[in-house]
Amino acid sequence: MERNIAHVALFAAMIAALGLVPQITLGFGVPITAQTLGVMLAGAVLGARRGAAAAGLFLLLVALGLPLLAGGRGGLGVFVSPTAGFALGFPVAAFATGLFVEHVRLRSAGLAAGLGAVFGGIVVLYILGAAGLAIVLDKSLAEAFTLVAVFIPGDLLKAGITGMLVQALARVRPQTLAWHRGAAGAGDLRL
Amino acid sequence: MISLTSPVETRAHRWPAGVKLGALCLASTGLFLTGSAAVHVAALLLVLALYAAPGRVFLQAGLRSLRVVLPFVAILLVWHAVTGELRAGALIVLRMVTLVALANLVTMTTGLGELVDLIRRLTAPLRRLGLPTHLLETAIPLVIRFTPVLVARAENLAEAWRARSRRRPGWRLILPLTLQALDDADHVGEALRARGGPLGPQ
Amino acid sequence: MQMAKAADFTIRLDDLGYEAGGRPVLSGLTLHSSARRIGVVGRNGSGKSTLARLLAGLLAPTTGQVRVAGIDVFRDRRAALETVGILFQNPEHQIIFPRVSEEIAFGLRQQGLDKVQAAARCEAVLRSFDKPHWRDAPISALSQGQKHLVCMMAVLAMRPRLLILDEPYAGLDIPTRRQLGRYLNRAGTHLFHISHEPADLEGCDQLFWLDRGQIVAQGAPAQLLADFTAEMNRLGDLDDIADLAG
Repeated sequence: MERNIAHVALFAAMIAALGLVPQITLGFGVPITAQTLGVMLAGAVLGARRGAAAAGLFLLLVALGLPLLAGGRGGLGVFVSPTAGFALGFPVAAFATGLFVEHVRLRSAGLAAGLGAVFGGIVVLYILGAAGLAIVLDKSLAEAFTLVAVFIPGDLLKAGITGMLVQALARVRPQTLAWHRGAAGAGDLRL
Repeated sequence: MISLTSPVETRAHRWPAGVKLGALCLASTGLFLTGSAAVHVAALLLVLALYAAPGRVFLQAGLRSLRVVLPFVAILLVWHAVTGELRAGALIVLRMVTLVALANLVTMTTGLGELVDLIRRLTAPLRRLGLPTHLLETAIPLVIRFTPVLVARAENLAEAWRARSRRRPGWRLILPLTLQALDDADHVGEALRARGGPLGPQ
Repeated sequence: MQMAKAADFTIRLDDLGYEAGGRPVLSGLTLHSSARRIGVVGRNGSGKSTLARLLAGLLAPTTGQVRVAGIDVFRDRRAALETVGILFQNPEHQIIFPRVSEEIAFGLRQQGLDKVQAAARCEAVLRSFDKPHWRDAPISALSQGQKHLVCMMAVLAMRPRLLILDEPYAGLDIPTRRQLGRYLNRAGTHLFHISHEPADLEGCDQLFWLDRGQIVAQGAPAQLLADFTAEMNRLGDLDDIADLAG
């Protein structure tokens, strides 16, 4: 129980900390930030419920006015801006990523996490993000989607990193991945 | 951690947070319901006047936080110039800028403590339904404390990397950072238990 | 600070065992003591920290039982909060809140004090340590020694009858150690001090030597610490650092 609160809070802090990493620019001039990597990791490591809680907690702090979104943004303005769909989509994306890893049983934890991140952090998040954009900018969903599609390669990269990270975690710290079958034997390490 | 609350003390700092939040919700709904250009222009002017009232420093800080919507303003105007519906485009831009400005205004004039209190009041019905909302009171400060700790951790790792490598560390630091964060989480879990973490105030 | 009554206060560990990942960390450990300052000395990896966590009720024993003043500290958390406090080796592992006053008030609120009472007690503790100006200080701006002191104030504010110290001086300079040691002596609670550093334990009333999860000797500090130091120096000339656990 205590450990659950701590994990949720620490992954919320992780999403925030990754947002403070300076953005890098992909070969064709599109800037990417590491923040959604944090969202993918929260879902892929903690699973659906705790992952969504971590992303939700992060979002709550943004709403409270802390400048934790990539680029130092925060406050209630985020939730009425064109990118509101992406921000509000964070908990859903983490939940979907977690749902994927919990229910799609693959031999490799890393592969499950990478695919889960593609599903939650890209498919689900972009649908919500494009929907938000469509509402605020008064465009159709397809039109909104063309505006954000350039960011997909960067997010595919992040999904790949999520997969590699979870693969490594499954090896060195399997007890962390409650959803992973190999973790069953390590259950006695918990409180 | 520095909140986005403005250090310039305005009269609005003393208004109840709930009232400001309610007004923001009403204004957003109102602007989405009306298609009148006059109402939109008037709303934007009103918001700008609110920004200007406390003085120059406040106005500048406010305008700075509005810069994030500029790319979208540009995209919208170009888009609508191409499709030849510039009037409709202008209306969307006005609404977007007004809403973001208004929401930022609430953030700038409301302290963190007040908002946390508001959350406690808003979640009271959930608490009565048996949801453990008191956990938020522990979780929120934990995040505020651990974000700078994690950033410092990342900097230490980057330093250790650079001490032995000429290449940039980049994403390779995320695994050790995650492992450290997980260890931290275990220790914090322990510290919470040592002082009665999830019991909640009686 | 409240003086705990020594007469009815006993630590009883009976046939205590703990396993992590199928590997025994502690086994068949029995320890009874009513001394005011109990010390446990042992090498790295001897099970000292696990013992501290079992005694604080943070871990569930695999076998045997832990009773502090008759209380099952793992099961009865509310009673445990009034009875035991623990000071960790690394203050970063204990501090939960961004500001000093919030950190001190947290445990008090968990003990059932309301906001006003917790704030008053927090003020009183800060004043008794001559640090009233620390109240609103951000923890991140404090030095390592100052963070240790915040941890100590936060735990002592809860007025535990027993304070467990898990190598609280590791990595601190001599003046800081001495100052923290003085505050601890003044606190008037029972102390259960765990360390690998003989010098930390000289002032104890009763001492236990923990090795590979078992108590191998007990007695007065003077003799036991001399034996321990001699054995450590002997081992230091060997090369057992190469042995992997398990």
